[in-house]
This record gives sequence, structure tokens and C-alpha cells, in this order.
Amino acid sequence: MTPQAQVVEVRAGRTRRRGRLIAAAMVAPAVLVVCGVYAYPALSTLAYSVSKIDLSPRFRIEGFVWLRNFINQLTDPHFWQATWITIYFGVMLCLLTVVLSFLIALLLNKTFFGRGLLRVTVLLPWAVPPVASGVLWVQMFHAEFGFLNGLIRAFGGEGGIIWLGGSTIALHSVLITEVWRWIPFATLFILAGLQIVPKSVREAAAIDGAGSWRGFRHVTFPLMLPVVVPVVIFLFVWAMKVFDTIFVLTRGGPTRGTTTLNFLTYRQGFVQFDFGNAAATAYLLSALTVVVIAGLGWMLARSRKLAGT
Amino acid sequence: MVALVGTSAGRRLKGVLTYGAALLVLIVTAFPLYGIILTSIQTEPDIRSVDVAFVPTYIETEHYQRIFDESSGIPVTESMVNSLVVALATAFLTVAIAVPAAYALHRMSVPGRRIILGGFAAIYILPTLLFVLPLFIAVVQLGLYDTYIGLVLPYVAFTLPFMVWIMGSFVRAIPVEVEEMARIDGAGLRQLMFRIIIPLLRPGIFAGLLLGFILAWVEFLTPLLFTSDLSILTVTLGLFRSTMDIAIGQLAAATVITALPVILITAIFQRNISEVVTAGVER
Repeated sequence: MTPQAQVVEVRAGRTRRRGRLIAAAMVAPAVLVVCGVYAYPALSTLAYSVSKIDLSPRFRIEGFVWLRNFINQLTDPHFWQATWITIYFGVMLCLLTVVLSFLIALLLNKTFFGRGLLRVTVLLPWAVPPVASGVLWVQMFHAEFGFLNGLIRAFGGEGGIIWLGGSTIALHSVLITEVWRWIPFATLFILAGLQIVPKSVREAAAIDGAGSWRGFRHVTFPLMLPVVVPVVIFLFVWAMKVFDTIFVLTRGGPTRGTTTLNFLTYRQGFVQFDFGNAAATAYLLSALTVVVIAGLGWMLARSRKLAGT
Repeated sequence: MVALVGTSAGRRLKGVLTYGAALLVLIVTAFPLYGIILTSIQTEPDIRSVDVAFVPTYIETEHYQRIFDESSGIPVTESMVNSLVVALATAFLTVAIAVPAAYALHRMSVPGRRIILGGFAAIYILPTLLFVLPLFIAVVQLGLYDTYIGLVLPYVAFTLPFMVWIMGSFVRAIPVEVEEMARIDGAGLRQLMFRIIIPLLRPGIFAGLLLGFILAWVEFLTPLLFTSDLSILTVTLGLFRSTMDIAIGQLAAATVITALPVILITAIFQRNISEVVTAGVER
């Protein structure tokens, strides 16, 4: 190596190192904020989950209790009730939202007069703040002078349904509210996917004699799986975190009928101020979410392989 | 059925079906919104009447006047100012932190790049309450309870991973050749950033600001847990505080006022928002 080349080499090395340093400095604020507000609290919560915690008169960790908080949860029927409600809620939210959004997306994928207006309208529920959507659905569900019962009466029905009254019907009322809120996102996402599936592929299938259902079942749907599975992942993650709607509509009641694991964590933490058990519940909910998402991720990888992308 | 396709009768049937479905979708998505507006312009006795009116016969603006009245008990004007301050601060801070981070992560060599990006995505999966329990303790101990900073800090943090991800999709859309050309012309990193990258990222930054504003405006859990004083009430929390109120008309009016900015932003910029979403599909 000539001396000149050596000098260039050293300089290049220095610039590269300097570039890395600058790059690290540019990422540092984001990483620091995320560590401060996610990593450190996540570790603290882990510590809480194996501790006995006193909150009054001031926050104090009283001692190490091994896995007692976790055992408390796993042996508590209320915890299991909340777990089943959470899973049911998550599955139903994904299923209903995806099916309805798929149908709406297929509709919006056609050309017809007024499509632009419908597109904007479909997007609107997404723009409503969750608390506001809670308030407006309370008004829809009101047993006496709510709009839903009013509609039923207008069509000659009894219209005496107490939407938020029983634990099962209240859960489904919360479900309706959340499906309504998430249709815009899912529709937009699926519509974007539909526009990627080339029309020529579907036309080819039609020429080969596939009817519209068979064309959908064997051509469009498999090609759409890599788009649908991410939507399901998003929706499921969201379902696990639902809080505002439950808080405004039912406060987790009646008789715990709408208490999901997330809401149970909130109750244990900020109603009963039992941070040890709340921390354990939060980690059990996280574990449930991670397991389901891992399963869905595996499905996504497979569907991508099947779709050949 | 199949035989009908292509004939004019079949086409007409298809048209009727399409419009029927479109009408149904329109009603299902828009009716609750229509309902709350309708409620907000009716008198209290009419709202509470069992004969639910679906078409307004008059417009009553009393509820809107009442909620902006000082004596109404719920400081709506003040809560809007609070939310505006907090949402603007959140939007600008988040974007200011996210843009350089996204650029460095996608276009420069950052040690641990994959881990950082993966970590940012993984955080989204976990329930917010997992982080909020110790944050609540920290906020109380640091004296940030009932302060703007106590709200903006968590908002920025909760929005940041998502924002870095969104900004990343805009950064990746910038052709590498543009940067190489600037480099050949002897532009340093600072010049490259301020003369080339940031101007090219302008639509992305704009979308990011909108998104940051909306997410902070609608946030509910953080103010619920980190504030209690009426002087720092945010609009979303105001709605909940007033659900204890018995005036449904006023609550409806306050709901409309709270949702309006976000709905307007979404309706006006729906193309930009669609772009953000579809950027995820094409990935």
C-alpha cells in the first residue's frame, strides 16, 4: 500500500467512525425516551409483580413474595373469567371487523357514482376520539330513548332491549362499538390490498369458468391473506388494549361482564391500588398477547409463501 | 344468475345491489355520528322522549351556548386550550425526535439497528398499563402530577415508536441517488439534512404532525390517571367528567366539539392518511 493510499484509508476509517457516531447521536433521543418510558417501567412492573407493595401513605416495596401475585391470579376465578372474556372479545372483534371490512372494500373497489363520498364517510368513525365514540354509543344504546330501540320501534318491534343491562349483551354492545370504530382502518388496508391484486388475475379466473364466489374463494382470498393477516394482528393487539370504550360504556360491568384483562389490570391498579397483583395481571396479559401474535406471525409467513410473494 | 350477467336486466340488478349495499354502509357508519349531532340540537325534553325523532324539526343552539358558559361547571374553553397546548407540543416534539431517528435508522449505519427497529415494533404489542403502573409512581414522585409536562412526556413516548415507523416509510421513499448526487457535490451531513432530506420529507412531516396532534388530542388513559385538577382538564377527560352530569344535550354538544377538529382534519387530509396506511400494505 502506498503512503497516500494509507492516508486515504485512515481518513475513510475516521469518517466512517464519525458517521456512525453522528448516526447514533441522531437515534439517541428516540432510544432514550423509549428506554425511559418503556424499558425502565417494564422492568419496574416486573419487580412489582413479585413484590408486596404498599401505596399509603407513600409508595414502598414491602418485600419479595416470589410468585405469589401470579398464583393469586391463576387461582382466582375472576381472572379466568376476564381471560375468557378477553379472548372471546379479541376473536370476535377480528372476525366481525375483517368480514365486514372485506365486504365494504369489495364494494369500494367497484366504480360507481358516489364512491368518493362513501370512501370519506367510511373513514369517519376512525376520526372520532374513543371517548367521544363511547359517549355517542351510550346515546345509541340508551334503553328508554336511545336510537337503536327507537329504530326497532319504528320498524314495528318492541324496542325494549336493555343494551348495557346484562353482562352478555353489554359485552356485545361494547363489541359493536369497537367494530364500528375499527372498520375504517381495516377497510382502508384491505382496499389497498385489493388494488394490488391485479384485475387481470381475477379476469383470467373468470374466463377459466370460475364463478364470482369461486373466483373469490380460490383466487382473491389466498392472494389477500398476506394483507388480511396483518390487519388481524393489528386488531387483536388493539382488542387486548381496549380501555376507553369499556370505561365509558360499562366500567367493566354489569357483574364484571365486560372486564377484560386490561380493564382488570386497571381496576387492580387504580381502583384497588393493589400494584403487585395489577403488575402480575399486566404480565399475564402481555404473555397472552405475545403468544397469539407469534401464532399469527407464523400464519403470515406461511400465507406469504402460499401467495408466492 | 350467471346467464343474466351481461344482459341489461342483469346489469340493472347489479346496479341496484351495489347502490343498496352502498346505502346500507353509509347508514351504518354515519348514523351514530348523525345521532349525536341530532341530540345536540334538540331540547332536553325531546331528547328524553320515548318517541325518538330521526329528523330534526328545529335547531336548538342552547346546549352549545351553555357549555361555553363560565358557570356551566365544566370548563370547556379551558379544556380545549389545555388539549391544544398539549397536542401541539406532543406533535412537534415527537416529529422532531422521530425524523432524525428514522433517517439514521434507514439511511446510515447505526449499531444495533435491527434491535432498535424490532424493539419499537414489539413495544406496540404490549398493554399500555404495563408501563403506566411505574410511570404513575414516577410522575407522582417527580412532582409532575397535574402538570403539562406530566402529560406531554408520556404522550410523546407513547406516540414515538409508531412515528419512527411511519417516518421510516417516508424516508425509504426518497431515492438514494438524490443523496449520492448531493454528496458528490460536496454536501455535508447538515447541508444534506436541511437542504435535501427535510424538504423532500415535507409531506411526511406534515402527515406526522397531523397524526401526533390527533393521537394526543384523543388520549384518555394518561390524563385520567396523571391528572385530577380541573385546571388541567383535557377535552376527552371533560367528556367523562360530564357523563356524571345529567344534561344529555350538553354532553352531546361537548362530544361534537371534541370530535370536530379530528373529524375535520381526517376529512380534509384523508388522502394523506390513506397514504400512511397503504404504505404499510406495500411493504
